[in-house]
This record gives sequence, C-alpha cells and structure tokens, in this order.
Amino acid sequence: MGIGPSTKETSLHHFRDPLLDVVVEDTDLDLMGIIIVGTPDDNKDKILVGTRAAAMAEMMRADGVIISSDGWGNSDVDFTNTCEQLGIRNIPVTGLNFSGTVGQFVVVNDYLDGIIDINKSEDGTETNVVGENNMVKLDCLKAKALLKLKMRQKERRDAR
Amino acid sequence: MADKEIDLRRLVIKAYHMTAVEWGDENKITTDGNMTVSRKMLDQLAAEDDCIDKIDIQIIKPGEHDRWTNTIMDIIPISTKVLGKLGEGITHTLTGVYVMLTGVDVDGKQCHEFGSSEGNLKEQLYLNRAGTPGDDDYIISFDVTFASGMGQERHGPFTAHRMCDEFIQTYRNQLKKFKGDKCTERHEYHDKVRPGKKRVLIIRQVAGQGAMYDTHLFPDEPSGVEGGKSIIEMGNMPVMITPNEYRDGIIRSMQ
Repeated sequence: MGIGPSTKETSLHHFRDPLLDVVVEDTDLDLMGIIIVGTPDDNKDKILVGTRAAAMAEMMRADGVIISSDGWGNSDVDFTNTCEQLGIRNIPVTGLNFSGTVGQFVVVNDYLDGIIDINKSEDGTETNVVGENNMVKLDCLKAKALLKLKMRQKERRDAR
Repeated sequence: MADKEIDLRRLVIKAYHMTAVEWGDENKITTDGNMTVSRKMLDQLAAEDDCIDKIDIQIIKPGEHDRWTNTIMDIIPISTKVLGKLGEGITHTLTGVYVMLTGVDVDGKQCHEFGSSEGNLKEQLYLNRAGTPGDDDYIISFDVTFASGMGQERHGPFTAHRMCDEFIQTYRNQLKKFKGDKCTERHEYHDKVRPGKKRVLIIRQVAGQGAMYDTHLFPDEPSGVEGGKSIIEMGNMPVMITPNEYRDGIIRSMQ
C-alpha cells in the first residue's frame, strides 16, 4: 500500500526539509534542483513516471542523484525502478526509504546498495505515530556522504 | 582558478514567534507574539459544502498532549508571500504555532488511506521532527467531521484542506502587513550555481494515488491549497522545482 502515518511527510516537513539543507550546505556540490514525481496507482504508470525522472537526470547531465520516498509497500515499485533507471544510465544514486522489518523492498535490483533505511521505531514497524519514521538530518548526511563516495568511485572507473 | 558561484535569486524568510495562543473574539496575531483564535467562521465554512458536517478548533498548549485526536491529515505552517512569487522575494512565517488538520466522519470512520493516527495525541505524534511541532510549540487543531462516508471520497479530504486553508488565510492576511524589522528570525537563501562542482539532483517521490494520497504543487500562498495543482491531475509526471521554491512551501501534502 502507500503511505503509513509514520512515514508520511507533512506540509511542514516539505517547508523545512532536512535533505535540501544538507545538500545545499555542501560547497562541493552544485544542486541543480528538485524533481517531484508522483506515485501512480497503475503499474505501467509507475514505471513510466520514474523512468521519465531518470531520463531528466540524464539529460541534465547529473553526476549523482539522491532519491527519497514518503511511503513504503507498493511505492517501492516506483522507487526501485527509478533507482534502476538511474543505474543503467550510469548515474550514481543513493536514497532514503523506510524499510524496518515490515517494509523490506517488495522488488529488488542491482542499484539499491546506497539506500538508507529511515526506520526509527524499535521493532521496525509502521507505528502509526506521525513523524516517527521520517528522515532526519543524520539520515540525509549519510545519503549525501554515500553519494559523494559513489561519484568518486565512478570518476575513478571512468578514468581507467 | 576556481569558478565563481553564480547567484540566481534570493529568498528571505522572516519568522515571527508566537508566545501565547488564546481564545478571542476574532482570529488575530500581533508582532509582540500574541495570537487569538475564534470559532466564529467555522459554522459558515461547514455550511459551504454538504460533504462537511461540522468543524471544530482546539488550542493545544505545549505539553498538553494527553488528549484524544482524530487521525492527523496534515501539519501546516502559517506562512504568506509578502513580496514576489514562491521561491523568491520575501515570505513571512509564524513560529511557535502550527495548524494540525484532523478528520473523521459522522459514523466515526477515520479519514485515512493506509493506517491512521487517531488516539491519544501524546502517543500518536512524534515531536521535534522537521514535519512536526516542537516541545514548546502550540498546536491549533482544525478538526473536521465529514458527512457519512465523505472522508473516503476525494472531494471530502480536499474540501477539508481547502477550509483549513481559508481559516489560515485570515492569519496570512495580517501576517503580510507585519513590519519586516519586527521579525524574531531572518533567514536568507540563495539559489546558486556552483560551476565545476558535482551536479546533483534530489528526486522526491510523493503521494499520487487518490483521496488521502495526493500532493499539490504551486499554490498561491506558501504551503497553501488555493491555486495548487494536484500531482495526480498532472499524471504524476516529474516536475522540476528550484531549491528556493521548495523551501518556500511550494508543496502541500494532501495525504
């Protein structure tokens, strides 16, 4: 299914988003912008919109992408596809997603090794507590550090 | 020689801290930190649309969270544009108080899609996150009771958001006129190009499946409803926004 109360992002969250702050503050990075992409119901649409987002990243010549999701379950289909589409375009990707113990990826592929689990609950479940399993600054710092590492590794690979 | 940063535009957010929120004859805020809340407009708002049975407001003081809440639909900052459009110019916002939209229908069915957060507020709201109030913040609970079943139809939750927005607009209209030098915090943000640095994108995957699972973009006011476009209506297709647009409240969660 979609959004659980503990992972949903309120309007206030978007107003004070920690991921944006973490990326903007880093003077090694040139943040080009933010892509907002929806999570459609239909499977074919899920693949379409995520693939368009990855194509945009390629056309903007992105060196790297950090992706986040505000839900779990069927929204993993969108999330993992977008990661894969970025991966096959040779764009390093890391991200933030709730997994815990109940929300392990329902689909997997080769491009998910940079995804940080933002679960905060003790037993790794959807607690229905608003805000509990939201991303916090530390999660964002991890995703950013991992992306910088991946971008360096790619640079080395490309130089060979 | 390192390439110089290019400054594209500036956004200034001025915050006005509210230290006391009390009942009053009208919705009012002052630069010295006093806010009053009235139930006066609620009956009229509820009468505007058949999908709403009634609306109530509660003032929840910091620490007084040992109380019932219906499922939390959104937590909304009170912000307004003073100069320019979203993403540039000047925005005024209130700190110390946030609006919490909750909803249930007359039969007691909570307005939610997948899991709901009704119960004791103390246990259902994790404080001090980016998206939730802090320990010292007031919460204005805007609690909507839908007509039977209307909390599950797309029109219902959308109308609740719209009415909550009308309520917030009464404060925005006053906040717009606050003198800039009376603010308690001032933040300046620049959209910048950093030539020669690693070009990075953030992709935010947001809700787009239905009634309580929608996201609106491009409202007239920061974190507002009026003028917003639903990501569902846009086919859930990717949309690009600038960092300053994002931090100026260009997204309204309609979850």
